[in-house]
Amino acid sequence: MRLESLYWLSIQLNLNNGIVAVKLDEVPGLFIRIIPTATSLFNLSKLNLKQNNVRALNTGDVPQPTPKYNCSILEDMFLEENSKFVKKTFSEWEELGEALILLKVWARLRSSIYVHDCLNGFLISVIVSYLVAQDKINHDMKAMAIFRAALKFIDTHPLWKHGLYFPPAGDNAFSEEGNEQHNSSTRVNLAFRIASVAYPELQDEVALTLRCLEKCRDGGFEEIFATKIDNAAKYDYCIRLNLKGNSEVYSLGFCLDDECWRVYEQDVHCLLNQGLSDRAKFIRVIWRNTHSEFNVENGLSGLGSEPLFIGISVSSVEKAFRIVDIGPNAEKKDEALMFQKFWGEKAELRRFQDGKISESTVWESEQWTRHLILKRIIEYLLGRHLSLLKKDIVQIVDQLDFSLLHVGKDPVSYSGRLLGTFEELSKRLRSIQDIPLRVSSVQPLDSAFRFTSVFPPEPHPMATKRVDGARVHNFTPFCVQSLEVMIQLEGSGNWPMDDVSIEKTKSVFLLKIAESLHNNWGMTCTATEEDVDVFMDGYSFRLRILHERGLSLVNREIGRDQMKWVSSADRKLFIHGQHASMINGLQFCYPIFGPVVRLAKRWLASHLFSACLAEEAVELLVAYLFLKPLPFNVPCSRITGFLRFLRLLAEHDWAFSPLVVDINGDLSQNDEKEIDDYFMQSRKADEENTQNKSKAMFLATACDKASEAWTSCSPNPLELKRLVAYARSSANLLTKLILQNQTDSHGWECLFRTPLNLYDAVILLHGDRLPYPKRLLFTSELDQGRHVAHGNPSNAFHPYLLPADMKGSLEQLKTKLMVNFDPLRCFIGDVEKEFSDGLKLWYDSLGGDAIGLTWEHSKKREREESELDRKYPVDLLRNVGEMGKGFVRDVYLLKAPRLTK
Amino acid sequence: MKKKKGNREKANVVDDGEAVQMGKYKKDRKMKKKDHSSSRESEQLVEMSKAVDEDEVYEIPSGDEDCSKGMKKWLTKYHQSRPGLKVLQQRIDDFIIAHETKLEQERKEKEARLTEGGWILVEHHKGRKKTTDSESGTTVGSVSQAVVEEKLAKKKSKELFDFYRFQKREAQKNELMKLQSKFEQDKKRIQQLRAARKFRPY
Repeated sequence: MRLESLYWLSIQLNLNNGIVAVKLDEVPGLFIRIIPTATSLFNLSKLNLKQNNVRALNTGDVPQPTPKYNCSILEDMFLEENSKFVKKTFSEWEELGEALILLKVWARLRSSIYVHDCLNGFLISVIVSYLVAQDKINHDMKAMAIFRAALKFIDTHPLWKHGLYFPPAGDNAFSEEGNEQHNSSTRVNLAFRIASVAYPELQDEVALTLRCLEKCRDGGFEEIFATKIDNAAKYDYCIRLNLKGNSEVYSLGFCLDDECWRVYEQDVHCLLNQGLSDRAKFIRVIWRNTHSEFNVENGLSGLGSEPLFIGISVSSVEKAFRIVDIGPNAEKKDEALMFQKFWGEKAELRRFQDGKISESTVWESEQWTRHLILKRIIEYLLGRHLSLLKKDIVQIVDQLDFSLLHVGKDPVSYSGRLLGTFEELSKRLRSIQDIPLRVSSVQPLDSAFRFTSVFPPEPHPMATKRVDGARVHNFTPFCVQSLEVMIQLEGSGNWPMDDVSIEKTKSVFLLKIAESLHNNWGMTCTATEEDVDVFMDGYSFRLRILHERGLSLVNREIGRDQMKWVSSADRKLFIHGQHASMINGLQFCYPIFGPVVRLAKRWLASHLFSACLAEEAVELLVAYLFLKPLPFNVPCSRITGFLRFLRLLAEHDWAFSPLVVDINGDLSQNDEKEIDDYFMQSRKADEENTQNKSKAMFLATACDKASEAWTSCSPNPLELKRLVAYARSSANLLTKLILQNQTDSHGWECLFRTPLNLYDAVILLHGDRLPYPKRLLFTSELDQGRHVAHGNPSNAFHPYLLPADMKGSLEQLKTKLMVNFDPLRCFIGDVEKEFSDGLKLWYDSLGGDAIGLTWEHSKKREREESELDRKYPVDLLRNVGEMGKGFVRDVYLLKAPRLTK
Repeated sequence: MKKKKGNREKANVVDDGEAVQMGKYKKDRKMKKKDHSSSRESEQLVEMSKAVDEDEVYEIPSGDEDCSKGMKKWLTKYHQSRPGLKVLQQRIDDFIIAHETKLEQERKEKEARLTEGGWILVEHHKGRKKTTDSESGTTVGSVSQAVVEEKLAKKKSKELFDFYRFQKREAQKNELMKLQSKFEQDKKRIQQLRAARKFRPY
């Protein structure tokens, strides 16, 4: 047997317990750890928790007690005895061993509690043995029952306070818990490593697990034993402090009861705890200061090179986003002075509405930057009290915000104005007198109304009654986004009976409404045969009518499975309306929901998945994260939420289980069974008909139990596979960025940069011919594949008003505005009509300049035309390029269609 | 037009033969405009591939003067679809009138056919105003279908389900069946999970 390597380690980062680890090259992955023990070297009476054993540690001439140090020596002394005890307990008891494995798996998956100042493997075995000694576990119990008993014990028994003592050999009588602390002079507290700051976190984790056991499917197996709860996904705010070479850490020297790194951890925790007060639920400070290559001979100073990690769980978004912190009353002099000392120049005396005069801190911030308040506070405190520089504080808060900005500002800041305008519009609509049927209700449909649109429209200076010439500038866009609004009319028996006539009658009504709005309020309206758009205060609204007859037919359809009589346009509208109000309600409960959805949508679009997953489906997926957060708490920051979204996509078992989004929490067991039945039906149908698989992603809600609304056609299994692969790699990258990455922004951008070499062919577009060029994140370039065609930009269309346009009168200019004009959509539509069975298009509907193409192999086509496709992909691509004349920049061929024979 | 010319000249410089080929290709495209059927297109593909040199980067014109494809087409289409409210109104009115006469005619034809077969259609027009749609049974007037259904549901719930012993027995049996089916489903799921091998503790 040969030694491969031999190196120093420490037990739980405590250098007092140095050990030697040996790696053998015969058995990879096997380490032997040699732990020295000292059974008889020390005098037990001197190791009482109140004794001082570190001579350097004293205040004045009074020596301070050194409980930690004493404990670590006691541990060495009793190690053999204790492990014998543990071994004896576990021998010949299969269930107990299994339960221990379960507990260890559970703990290892949770990186916030499986660390040096909380749980470790040995401690878990000790706890289980302790419970056996206490008769809390008996031979009748199954492994899961033991698992539960151990968790309950951890939950109710504050280990850091009472400690955990084994009876000394031969002594069977247990003293009462309260007395243990006093009697402990000769026994070792085996839980001495558990810090008082770590315990609440442990308790919370245990409580969550117990809830999983009760509430989750399959007894919570997946949530408890198969979901990794790492710091990146758990904490809402993650911060890393680079303390390499920071001398302040070592200012107290190394001769302390605890080591200087642990003391520093505590300092940081204390500081943040005081500064953040009730904004944070948990603050966890962990500094893994040693790494595996540490060498005792090199001394201790090189040990702080790893960054210190701070994880913060926010108590509630409202509290975390609070602008003013009210301190002590000015009359309480002492407290006020303390407050001033703590906050320095940030503390100011303020008079509040109730007449109170108090010390306070104010973090002035705009609505859309509220999530940065916490960051500012932390930066300020760390700088003031620990004199850390900004560059050494890496806070994971706003790194992804760049993807949501438009010209340097988050467009969501205009949402307030949009909602106001909508209110006014609905008032006007309901007051219209000069149409046969009056408007009875007006409901917003577009995602901009529920704060989940990536780019809610900004008010357009020309889409108003009176154009303000001063606000029309060079970068005024030519296009206006129109937002869908649903109208219901009074009931009437005079509607026609057939589909076509109903739709036409609706158009007539809409035209009448538009006319009335124009006559009474002077609003500009523009219409096609299908759509009517009205301009108001800078916004454009697209009106749609929901016909009640269609509505009642929808009810019938759900009840009796009759597809025949449903008017499809009305049904779609109805489902949209239901979804909109559902999500709107949810959005009010969880303020962070909107930003997470926006990030998710942006991510999907940037990876050219716009055609695969409907906007509404994304909203439901994210809603699921908030409604069923277990085994986590509800996410309270956009990055954490986004990470969990990616993991949900990547890890959910799409093939075998439906995703049930229970928005109002009103699904009964019967409903769930019904959903399961629908799911089984759909999967069974897929098995029989392997060619045409549907509902690869089964998303069920209370009003759509069979998942027909959003995911019935797309994504198909292949698209879903691609989606899952992308999500997995993005999730891994994001985790790495949160926990390890240095400060550069390139890594974060990579999350939204899609590799173009994964397609068979790529079409690049003229970025300055997109309707909103500023929404483009990165200009795509390609340097591989065959350059098949190049196109020149058209002069007929410009995204911005040109000086030449502005010479005419403003009213004339207004008529030139284009509502919802999107060349990308037109292009995609044309190509799909022509080549739908040979090509598949992947694109970004939010403003990307690249389209990916993959060859489709449909059976029918293979026989007839694959011959041609195989030989002439170049011509095909040139034809496709021709269809986008004036819009297409370049066409590249990367991979010719595969030979299939 | 300028751009097209430029193209041709460029091609001329490169290779005389090719300029001819380009010309041919253009002709092909014009043909395609007339005929959009897919078989036609595949023929064209063959021809074109013969014509176009595979190695050259094909230059797509900006198409500012050609309304049949690309940006210009979409813009034209956009503007054509918005002729103004009045025109639209007229168009829809026309359509509805045409549609109605068509429907009327169809109805008449149907009647005529029926009469031809020796049957006479007897219609009853007078009487109470209809409140339900004859084909779907949907309420047209004031009382909506949903309300009726709700009322029916309420009525039903008044019945007693555990009055007779056989009812109780049946209920128990059903419960048992449900549990059994759930058990079967769970078993299946565990198999699936095993197949997916998601649980990797180490």
